[in-house]
Amino acid sequence: MAGALSVSALVFQDVHAQYGPYKALNGLTASIAEGESVAILGRNGAGKSTLARVASGLVPVASGHLSVLGRSVARTAPHVLARMGVVHLPEGVGLFSGLTIEENLVLRVGGASRSARRRRLAMALGGLNDELRSRRRTKAGLLSGGQQRLVAVTAALAAEPRLLLCDEPALGLSPVAGDEVYAALGRARDLGCALVVIETRLDRIEHLCSRAIVLEKGVAVYDATSSDQGGILDALTGSRGVS
Amino acid sequence: MKRLLEVRDVSRHFGGNAAVDHVSLDVFDGEAVGLIGSNGAGKTTLFRMIAGELALSGGRIEFDATSLPHRPDQRARLGIARTFQIVQLFGGLSVLDHLLVALQAHEGRQGPMRDVLWKGSSTPEEEQRCLETLRLCGLSDVADAPATALGLGERRAVELARALVVRPRLLLADEPSSGLDAHEAARLARVIALARRETGLAVLLVEHDLHMVEAIAERVIAMDAGRVIAQGTFDAVLHDESVIASWLGRSA
Amino acid sequence: MGVFFGYVLASIPYGCAFSLVAVGLVLTYRATGVFNFAFAAEAYAATVVYSELISHGVQRGWAAAIVVCVIAPVFGALLDFGLFSRIAPGNRTAKTIMALGLTVILPQIVETAVPSNPPVPPAPFFSTSFIPVWRIGGDPVFGSAICEVAGTILVLIGLVLLLRTRRFGLPIRAAVESPKLLELSGVDARWVLRFAWMISTALAAVAGVLYQVGSGATVDPQNYDLLLVVSIAAAALAGLRNLPIAALGGVLLGLAEGLVQGYVPSSSIWYPALVPSLPFLFLLVLLIFHPTLRHLEDTIDPMASIEPPPPVPAVAMRPPIVDRTIRRMRWPFLGVVVFGVILFVPADWTEALTEGAALSIVFLSITLLTGLAGQLSLAQWMFAGIGAFTTAQLAENRHWPILLAALAGALVAGVAGLVAALPALRLRGLPVALLTLCLALLGDDLLFPTSWVSNGTSGVPVPRPSSIFGIDFSSVDSEGFFVLTVVVMIAVAGIVHLLLRGTTGRALTAVHASPIGASSSGVQIRRMTILVFMLSASIAGLGGAFYAMNQQTVSQDSFVYYFGPIYLVVVVTIGATTVEGAITAGMAFALINNALMNVPQSVGGTQLHSTALTVILLSLGAFTYAKHPEGIVEYAKRRLAKTVFRAVEHNDHPLVSAEDSA
Ligand SMILES: Nc1ncnc2c1ncn2[C@@H]1O[C@H](COP(=O)(O)OP(=O)(O)OP(=O)(O)O)[C@@H](O)[C@H]1O
Ligand SMILES: [Mg+2]
Repeated sequence: MAGALSVSALVFQDVHAQYGPYKALNGLTASIAEGESVAILGRNGAGKSTLARVASGLVPVASGHLSVLGRSVARTAPHVLARMGVVHLPEGVGLFSGLTIEENLVLRVGGASRSARRRRLAMALGGLNDELRSRRRTKAGLLSGGQQRLVAVTAALAAEPRLLLCDEPALGLSPVAGDEVYAALGRARDLGCALVVIETRLDRIEHLCSRAIVLEKGVAVYDATSSDQGGILDALTGSRGVS
Repeated sequence: MKRLLEVRDVSRHFGGNAAVDHVSLDVFDGEAVGLIGSNGAGKTTLFRMIAGELALSGGRIEFDATSLPHRPDQRARLGIARTFQIVQLFGGLSVLDHLLVALQAHEGRQGPMRDVLWKGSSTPEEEQRCLETLRLCGLSDVADAPATALGLGERRAVELARALVVRPRLLLADEPSSGLDAHEAARLARVIALARRETGLAVLLVEHDLHMVEAIAERVIAMDAGRVIAQGTFDAVLHDESVIASWLGRSA
Repeated sequence: MGVFFGYVLASIPYGCAFSLVAVGLVLTYRATGVFNFAFAAEAYAATVVYSELISHGVQRGWAAAIVVCVIAPVFGALLDFGLFSRIAPGNRTAKTIMALGLTVILPQIVETAVPSNPPVPPAPFFSTSFIPVWRIGGDPVFGSAICEVAGTILVLIGLVLLLRTRRFGLPIRAAVESPKLLELSGVDARWVLRFAWMISTALAAVAGVLYQVGSGATVDPQNYDLLLVVSIAAAALAGLRNLPIAALGGVLLGLAEGLVQGYVPSSSIWYPALVPSLPFLFLLVLLIFHPTLRHLEDTIDPMASIEPPPPVPAVAMRPPIVDRTIRRMRWPFLGVVVFGVILFVPADWTEALTEGAALSIVFLSITLLTGLAGQLSLAQWMFAGIGAFTTAQLAENRHWPILLAALAGALVAGVAGLVAALPALRLRGLPVALLTLCLALLGDDLLFPTSWVSNGTSGVPVPRPSSIFGIDFSSVDSEGFFVLTVVVMIAVAGIVHLLLRGTTGRALTAVHASPIGASSSGVQIRRMTILVFMLSASIAGLGGAFYAMNQQTVSQDSFVYYFGPIYLVVVVTIGATTVEGAITAGMAFALINNALMNVPQSVGGTQLHSTALTVILLSLGAFTYAKHPEGIVEYAKRRLAKTVFRAVEHNDHPLVSAEDSA
């Protein structure tokens, strides 16, 4: 495990990114080791989603250096990264509303070989609750907002990611469903997947993440790691009040 | 207290699937009611029916003791305002313009005839009222910014401001705090409380965030699988076994 | 029995081609979100290539057909690479405009490049094609018919099998919704889209060659209008979703067309009018009643927020001093231009300028409908025609004063606009474009040729006003009319500007962005849509009346339907969001046309080709459109504003994107 940890899942060095004239990342520097689970915190508009989008190739790096799973990437297309094992659960719904639940799962879990595809699909279907499983041939766009989110999370987890970028995974979920999603993320972490979780609610990340990076105006302003003395929340609140 | 909204025995089917199943509920004048329930319980579907976006399969809805007109815009002009689970802003318009659209529509001062007759520019009173609402919602600084370029917290605030600027009698808010950080959520709750105090507005609030429900709602209704499973005070509903099982989970 | 089978057999090539094109339309739409109006144009181009190959030494028809089938996908890939892949995925208007632009430009290019279309029908695939293989009830069944049916079935089966595959079928349905999300699933969305274009272009080529060779008619772009409309109807029948229904619909419509043509006697008064219009009527009914067409464009890209926001309008980034200068200078500037024209410009150029002003009025109606309400109407030129014919008839037969007649023409056109507005209440986006295309074609086929409207090809004379408010300008006819037209144009521009800037502009922007958000804020979408449609149609009618006065005559050929799409493309690419855009477009069209008309014959100028060349020239603008959907005028203004800002403030404007400053 120690050898594996020496490889970094994600390294940002002075990364800038922008949407048209709007600058979203302003020289972000951070690095995340393989198997680590990190929470990204910060106010709305601090660049959290952009961080995930840059890491999955959706938004190009304007300047700076980025490497993902040991490979240096600047303008690599998202599908190349996806095939390397980077799974991005985007902000919002994250499903094709015109496809059925099952088709969405087939597409999102991917898989290089037929057996891998079958294994992942079975895992995804197993991860759905009974109601959704029985409705797997309905169009995803007809589900309620929270149901769609559940399907998207399930698909992302079943894709056997090496690096999982989750943008507010429990958004719009009921408390009990949110807890289940976080439990499933914990299981993925235990299997060795590097996790980057964007979350606005601190109580959610308490048990999942051992480290938190706080963004502000597109740069990392604070980096806290849990220690033997206290969890991540203590580390965060001890030195600096986080809203 | 006067009964403002009366939902009686309302159902809605999609194919064979009953999304809302014989639901009855009331909202009284000036009251804030929380509506909670598992994902897919039918909360948004109920909102869409109240707002006139979706036809009922059965039952009836009355507002102010009279039956409602059909179209959403007619209902909006009667004083039913709404915010959406997925934010519905007007790309290409500034924040201030969002409020002007709603206000002018509500007052019936909108349309080609007015513009051609040189009455198309907004009056000082209109702008004054929009600016006041923006101040209430903490948006004064971004009044001229394009609304869709704002962060989610501000976008939700714009939606709320657009709903509040017409001084509605009933606000239907669908997960207004989802995606907001604690700061922004608290501010949103304050805005709603202020608006209630100033205009006697009634609120029907769908939320998955316990704290928001507690902060805003005086009464809570819980739904599951299209039915109402519990209603009463916040504490009573949250200690209901079926609510814990279907919505709250162990974290209570 | 025998007669019936004869008609059935005769309709085979039509049925096959219709179903192939319908399938291609549905396929392209489902995969890329582009409703490829250019399909018929592509089919036509393929046939011309086929004929050219044969006349340049490729001996065998089947060999030429194979070459065409190889060239076509390459062309499709080029289209995607050069044009369609550059449009932002969510921009449906841009996709439709681009496809329309291609429809307009492709036949023009082919006609210009291959000036002498082969006068003979192209050769069949096999030299034995027209030997009867067997007989049904006395009717010969030719080898060519069997070839066509077999070819079509093979192609369709292959397509269905392909779409069943996980590697291609599923991604192609997902790509249209969100290429980005598809990429996140590990699929190269760019190639999925490109592949879809290649297949659909190949389908167009096969359909074109089958259609042409099978029907045995001469190669003529006009024949392809029917191909397009019938296939659109078949595709609409399939809700633009279901490939088998589209294929079946194409076959059935081909049959129906053949039977109607067979059984309705060609001497009947119905024949010339009704037969070609049947598919339009069918399509009209479908568009109004087909449930899936109503919700065609309801989905939005879940990843839309990743696209950079559209650039800020130039007005927003101009320093105030520039605004003030413009406001002060515009009337003097206009005065100088008008007087300059009156004093120095020769008469034929004055008339061209007048035509430009009249066209500008028509174009302002497009600004209102497309720029403001976001509706794509292909019928504006028809509304102009209605205005013009009403004016002409009232002036000629009822002896109304011409200006009063023009006002009446505008009113009648407005009422006609109501006809378009009512179905448009339930539809938006592409279905409205299809609907208005139908109306335009119906107007062209059923309304304008009738004698009580247009006097047929001989036309109706339209006088110019000789005096207004007691000012007599009959002695300076063209200059006086020029001034009058410009004054009317400015008045209309003022009205449109008021709407753009006023409550309507705001409300319609809101409706366009989020219909449900707008209606639950109380915006009366229906009332506003109807009013704007009617107003826009009457403005078009007024413009048409002035256009006719400038021509001094109006006939059934004055308002040909296909100028509807052409003008829409021209206005949108030059700029549909501002009043200046429409005026620039109108003037540019008239002036370029006039300039080309003056090219001497010795260097290849002919009066006939000048319009075609103008169209080509301006449609080339469509290619800039992918990159700058706000229009050329707006883009230029933004660049200028940026330069001015930098000169005044010694700094870059904070809202200028990197792409602009590069
Ligand atoms: N147009 C539709 N067609 C078919 N089924 C639908 C449609 N709209 C909603 N449903 C179904 O109705 C049920 C209720 O959906 P609704 O959106 O009201 O849930 P909700 O309570 O708002 O859930 P959430 O908390 O996730 O937003 C769901 O099972 C959903 O799949
Ligand atoms: Mg909901």
